[in-house]
Amino acid sequence: MVVSRLLGLVECTKEHALFVFTHRRMAIMGDDVTLDGIIPISSDFAVVEVTSPDELVVVGGDTRVMLNFEDGELEVRLPFGSHSRLFLSEVNRAWCNVCMSPGTAPKFEWLHKYRRATKGQSVVKETLEHLGTTRTRISQHKNTGRSLKTDFRALEPEDQSGYSGPDLQSIEASPDRQRKVKPGGWEDLKPEGRDDLVRHSSHTASNKATMLAMPQFGLRDNLIRCELLKNEDVYTYLENFNFFLGTYNVNGQTPKESLHPWLSSISTPPDMYCVGFQELDLSKEAFFFNDTPKETEWLKAVSEGLHPNAKYALVKLVRLVGIMLLFYVKKEHAEHISEVEAETVGTGVMGRMGNKGAVAIRFRFHNSDICVVNSHLAAHTEEYERRNQDYKDICSRLLFSSHHPNMTPLTIMKHNVVLWMGDLNYRLSDLDVENVKELIAKKDFETLHTYDQLKRQMDEEAVFVGFEEGAINFLPTYKYDTGSDQWDTSEKCRVPAWCDRILWRGKHVHQLHYQSHMTLKTSDHKPVSSILEIGIKLVNEEAYKKTFEEIVRSLDKMENECIPSVTLSRREFQFKDVKFMQHQAETLTLYNDGQVPCQFEFIQKLDEPTYCKPWLTANPNKGFIAQGGTVDIDLEVFVNRSTATELNTGRQQIEDILVLHLERGKDYFLSVSGNYLPSCFGSPIQTLCQLRDPIRDMSLENIRVLTSLGDETSVSTIDNALDIPKEIWQMVDHLYRNATKQGELFQQPGLRSEFQEIRDCLDTGMPDSLPGSNHSVAEALLLFLDALPEPVVPFSLYQQCLECCSNPSQCKKVVSSLPQCHKNVFNYLAAFLRELLKHSAHNGLDANILATIFAALLLRSPTKQDLAEKRKTQEFVQHFLVQDLS
Amino acid sequence: MAKQYDVLFRLLLLGDSGVGKTCLLCRFTDNEFHPSHISTIGVDFKMKTLLIDGIKVRIQIWDTAGQERYQTITKQYYRRAQGIFLVYDITSERSFQHIMKWASDVDEYAPDNIQKILVGNKSDEEEKRQVATEQGNKLAMAYGMDFFETSAFTNHNITESFTRLAEQVLVANKKDLDLLRMSVTDELNLAALEEEEGITDGTDATEKSCWC
Repeated sequence: MVVSRLLGLVECTKEHALFVFTHRRMAIMGDDVTLDGIIPISSDFAVVEVTSPDELVVVGGDTRVMLNFEDGELEVRLPFGSHSRLFLSEVNRAWCNVCMSPGTAPKFEWLHKYRRATKGQSVVKETLEHLGTTRTRISQHKNTGRSLKTDFRALEPEDQSGYSGPDLQSIEASPDRQRKVKPGGWEDLKPEGRDDLVRHSSHTASNKATMLAMPQFGLRDNLIRCELLKNEDVYTYLENFNFFLGTYNVNGQTPKESLHPWLSSISTPPDMYCVGFQELDLSKEAFFFNDTPKETEWLKAVSEGLHPNAKYALVKLVRLVGIMLLFYVKKEHAEHISEVEAETVGTGVMGRMGNKGAVAIRFRFHNSDICVVNSHLAAHTEEYERRNQDYKDICSRLLFSSHHPNMTPLTIMKHNVVLWMGDLNYRLSDLDVENVKELIAKKDFETLHTYDQLKRQMDEEAVFVGFEEGAINFLPTYKYDTGSDQWDTSEKCRVPAWCDRILWRGKHVHQLHYQSHMTLKTSDHKPVSSILEIGIKLVNEEAYKKTFEEIVRSLDKMENECIPSVTLSRREFQFKDVKFMQHQAETLTLYNDGQVPCQFEFIQKLDEPTYCKPWLTANPNKGFIAQGGTVDIDLEVFVNRSTATELNTGRQQIEDILVLHLERGKDYFLSVSGNYLPSCFGSPIQTLCQLRDPIRDMSLENIRVLTSLGDETSVSTIDNALDIPKEIWQMVDHLYRNATKQGELFQQPGLRSEFQEIRDCLDTGMPDSLPGSNHSVAEALLLFLDALPEPVVPFSLYQQCLECCSNPSQCKKVVSSLPQCHKNVFNYLAAFLRELLKHSAHNGLDANILATIFAALLLRSPTKQDLAEKRKTQEFVQHFLVQDLS
Repeated sequence: MAKQYDVLFRLLLLGDSGVGKTCLLCRFTDNEFHPSHISTIGVDFKMKTLLIDGIKVRIQIWDTAGQERYQTITKQYYRRAQGIFLVYDITSERSFQHIMKWASDVDEYAPDNIQKILVGNKSDEEEKRQVATEQGNKLAMAYGMDFFETSAFTNHNITESFTRLAEQVLVANKKDLDLLRMSVTDELNLAALEEEEGITDGTDATEKSCWC
């Protein structure tokens, strides 16, 4: 049951509830609406749009949503339009708020006063129960909450108790009227309007609503994205850009000197700056609270140290304790940077803390995805395996939540280019400090490299697989006495090492320089820089558009090919010489020539109650065909007493169009045509009394004229009318002459084939005497009476017969009031039956049996008959069988 | 950034049998032309995606039976359309005269804000022409419709006419679309907390390119 309601979203003390109102007419004033129920928006609440993912979404339909709540559910149809959308998004927001603060479950105390149910006003309650909910609490309306819409405020003055019930009743009683919807918070639970017949027909019932496709179409977007990626080469070309990469372990110091020598030693300003720091702050505060004043200090130092010949914008800063990464771009490139994200991973104490680990920034520059990582790996010469492990942890744990909700998170390695810098902490091993310093003094870096742990580990493919590093032609960057270029003179006297490195992974990367900067003396490390010339994929807009269109076209093609389709063996069906109660069938074969299985169904047409005319059936009328499969459908024509009359007169023809609908596919029209041979079966007594010749010798026009005459005027006024239809006489006379002693007469069925011969004989006058057995003729007589559009005792007198059935003389009176030809037929049949009863010794008939059989034919009820009525009709007929009342 | 949504419309091809409705559709969706005439007995449809001002507009085009005996049945499909092509054949005076009948059926059975466009097909058959371009223009003007002479055979004005109708439907439904789009963008904003710049930029750009 669908009824009309108004919905309002009410807020009070930051809690929300949906108020359901019954309403009167347009609901203009407060007293036009009455609170019908309350649905609190608790964590049990949910609102789901009722659409299946594969339905086509079409503009203009209702929005159907299912409201689920603590103790019930309610389907609501909202009228199409933005106000409904807005309403739903408000409801959704309210619910999101509840879910986002699970600690403070709403108590809804403010609702109590509305819920004090007024007993006896059960109309509303029932209605809501019909709608599938048990919660209904009625109370007078009082609006203390903030109403969502201005219309709602019209209710504010209504603070009175005791509204009247009867008004409500009248609203309930007229659920058929479609109510106009006021823009705003009012929503209708609209009844399916009778006027909207198209929506009524089954094949359109599923067409739902919005113009914008909902997330189900995300699939299509993903497909497009995938295809675009596959064809990237077609619409992109490479252009080189210079990336400055710098890494500096500042040993917890504050910037004391200009960073120019490090950041701007090159003549041409780079396009990008990726600047990494380690040990920015070694304090406990930084470690425990990830908070440090050094961040801004070093940011400022870097910003001031950038190349003076270009303008740069800071795109992103990311820091984990002392590991910081800054990403700047030249101003003119900023608009081509997108999808910027930053992430951090700690690998320090307990494998989680931020004293060691990595920070990373990913971004898209034109059509290339780039990831920059700055890491500080585990310290100490012997811990190289730990460093390898840190690298692996960073690679697996550092995930960028994806921009496209349907796709999995991005890892570092998924990027076109990865730039990795940092204090990687790999040392020179197997050489003592003196040997190292000796080789350094000789600038024999080549020999030294063979002792470098990172190079060794990379050669063994134990770490940084797929990464490259340029030749190192600078002094080890660790460890100096702070403020000098002196090697570590402390007690530990560390072996110098290339702790600070810059690596890359990806195609089209070319290193222009790689060096350390000895002039900076703030830290015990020296900063390192590198300029990488990177080939970036730029989009050729024209080619992109073309590629995109091609992809869309091929998707369309795919989609069109997947529209269900069948071939039909025939479209036209001809039924020749259809006769009364003679079955004819033609076979239609459906072959599924589409690329998907399909479901077919004959659907009804506009303004028609069924999918075809009553004399026609399709068997089966719906079904499923597998891909490449076939289904045979029998179209069967069978004219029985309910359709014969109209066909006899030509008011109806054997003509119909069937609509065969494929689910989510096309519709096919089938034409059915043919001709019907008029028959005395199903023709009115009056008409037949006019026909001296067999009915088939008459023109349709004549039959129609005679039939309409019979409707209007008394037959007796027409000359030459027969007393009774000759067909009745023919059958009765046949039985009288041949079957008075026949046992089981009217009780044993005849043969269908013989009936057809008898029917043809009656309708054509050929042959002279009726063919077939007595039983077949007897059955034909019964069928004849049964097919009369107006029974022998007309419908109008039926009630009267029931009333007087126990009184023979009254019964006689009724019969004498019948129209002349009906009266004749009645008396004639009664006389014949009395004649039969004379031979009851032979034929075994008695008045009771005959009354039972004939009462049902002579006195047909215009409506459904119950047993008591049946008895009365038998009683009525029986009077005429035991005595001649005529 | 790729759009998170699509727009879907239904367009209907109407006109006498044999004016070339099915050919228009085939040319438009598959870029194919089949010269032999096989009567459409039923209602067929195809999908096509158009890019209009950066919006992916998906249109579902319904091809209907033009034969007179099916007209009472095809009427029930009008209600579900947002746009209608009234098609005649420039080599058939009769098909042109029937446009009035088709148009009045549309008025009766289609939704109020339905968009219509007049199409005179078979413009390649100049030598058989019975309906002057001027006549088409005049009729279109009288109905306040746009008018195209097309040829499915030579692919003349096919994309143009379909795109024009799609644009008209977009404009006619602009208000609803705008509001819906806004609510969808809200959700997107929630989903992508990080990237403030990207989203707002994107929205602004869309606003400009689409509707102004």
